[in-house]
Amino acid sequence: MRVILVVLPTPEVGRSEREAIGAARALATAFAGEVNVALVGPAAESVAERPERAGLTLEASANARTFFIAHPMLRGYAPELYVSALEQLLATVRPDVILFPGRTIALEIAPRLAYRLGAAMVTDVIGLQAEDGAVVITKPVYGGKAHAMLVASRPPVVVCVRPRAFDPIEGEIVGGDTTWVEVALDPSLERTRLLERIQEESATGTALEEAQIVVSGGRGIGGPEGFRLLEELARWLGGAVGASRAACDAGWVPASWQIGQTGKKVAPDLYLAVGISGASQHVVGISRAKCIVAINTDPHAPIFKVADLGIVEAYENIIPVLIEEVKRLRVAGKA
Amino acid sequence: MRVIVCVTQILDPEIPPGEFRLNAERTAAAEGIGQLVMSIFDENAVEVALQLRERMIEREPVEVIALTVGPPSAADVLRRALSLRADRAILISSEGGPVLDGVVVASLLKAAVERLHPVDLVLCGRETGDWHGGQVGSFLAEALGWTCVTFVSRIEATDGGFLMRRQSDEGWEIVWAARPAVATITNEETNVPRLPKVRDTMLAARAPIPMWTIPELVSDVTGLWGANGRLQVRELVIPGTSKACEWIEGETVTEKAVHLVRALRERRIL
Repeated sequence: MRVILVVLPTPEVGRSEREAIGAARALATAFAGEVNVALVGPAAESVAERPERAGLTLEASANARTFFIAHPMLRGYAPELYVSALEQLLATVRPDVILFPGRTIALEIAPRLAYRLGAAMVTDVIGLQAEDGAVVITKPVYGGKAHAMLVASRPPVVVCVRPRAFDPIEGEIVGGDTTWVEVALDPSLERTRLLERIQEESATGTALEEAQIVVSGGRGIGGPEGFRLLEELARWLGGAVGASRAACDAGWVPASWQIGQTGKKVAPDLYLAVGISGASQHVVGISRAKCIVAINTDPHAPIFKVADLGIVEAYENIIPVLIEEVKRLRVAGKA
Repeated sequence: MRVIVCVTQILDPEIPPGEFRLNAERTAAAEGIGQLVMSIFDENAVEVALQLRERMIEREPVEVIALTVGPPSAADVLRRALSLRADRAILISSEGGPVLDGVVVASLLKAAVERLHPVDLVLCGRETGDWHGGQVGSFLAEALGWTCVTFVSRIEATDGGFLMRRQSDEGWEIVWAARPAVATITNEETNVPRLPKVRDTMLAARAPIPMWTIPELVSDVTGLWGANGRLQVRELVIPGTSKACEWIEGETVTEKAVHLVRALRERRIL
């Protein structure tokens, strides 16, 4: 019997967490194994106390077991304590695969846990297959120019799944035997302290990773002013604004707007790439977008190779007209 | 204060997809398809170290040492660091050693950091620009038993520790970290890598670079080999990405915009 443990260390249970469970369930089916879920930190308390708030119920689910690990010290940024708490859980549960969502805090905890377990470790995973007892893991390499297939034949293996690469589960994330796991945390382990949190708001109030429509700008936008146009378009479309690394590094928009290999991964119905050349490091962040529209002055820009619809035009010319067209559509829709 | 920056040489990530080829074994990129460069987040890490040294100038001397694990040809990335005014650079030669997985690299870096004692801070890029592993910094911190903070864009020294600006999923966090610490560096507008001066590039080209070998650093070399075998690379494939792009044409800009909206409505997106 193979055991797959999904570790959820974030306060919120969102789409990334549901995708991680989705990936685990698919793998468990292939292995004829079981899925266990561990909620660590504030999520354990909020989900256990008020499951209905997260749209969760404690009744039937496909999980075999659910572990809750809560402790007053598991709040804010305390990666060493999370690692210690998980080590204590793993002294009794011995999973073959430990699966984390692709959140920044998970990407911090997972490798440290893997090191302590002597486990194989793979981040940014887009595919998981069972094969004769081994796990075959797919991840993009070389900025998405290739996909690597890696074989982990000796358990345990720790993986972080890439956001928007697996289908999220619907329904309950908690179920089966539910267990509160007591952990003893040594305050002297704490080597970091969270002093301040700086939230970067999305321009339109719609979260980038959840948006059904994303309007994104790159180097071709030329400065922060151009992004005001993209914001206006995004607002009329009911979407969010993203950016390429070049635009973020130039300081035109906040770094949290970055989409790509090392930024956010998005899977909207419509991705409008404006003044973005389309380097593979950017394109891997939008590979699950349903429809990609590229607007660029250079007809040979690589973005057109991945676009469904392409317009060769300067953004300054076409975006204002497009805003008017969308406005007309929205107003007509309301009438 | 002594700051070590770990840098890696990788295939230039900017090479166009059309020029990307795999080696005969299909286990990595083919050699010679592009130039070899310093991994992009390692460049950000060098910049963070240099800025820390500059801000500390009135308070305390800061020595910035660049380290790499790789073949002798990887000295090029160390020369790049020297041209940006790192104080010195050391090559850990991987020749004759095991396959460089994350654990092996972290073990070698740990031995080098201990040899350079006392070290206050080690910086690594958040991930390499080729395999995007994102684990060597964390492994190194675990091996050393040091503080670890990931996705850091900027660092200030305080008494007994560091203030680090850390990227989270929602924005940024200011984190205090006990010394000694390992930080992995991400990009932000504040740490865009500077360009070297011509004179410094010329000096760096002639600078001697000490080379440390694996047996010098690690007594149990077979133990290092044992770290491999947890993961095997079966095969790399090049995904087919090309779609047939439908061009939206029009005599005027307005026509193009109208045609685009129509195409999106036909696809039931708007």
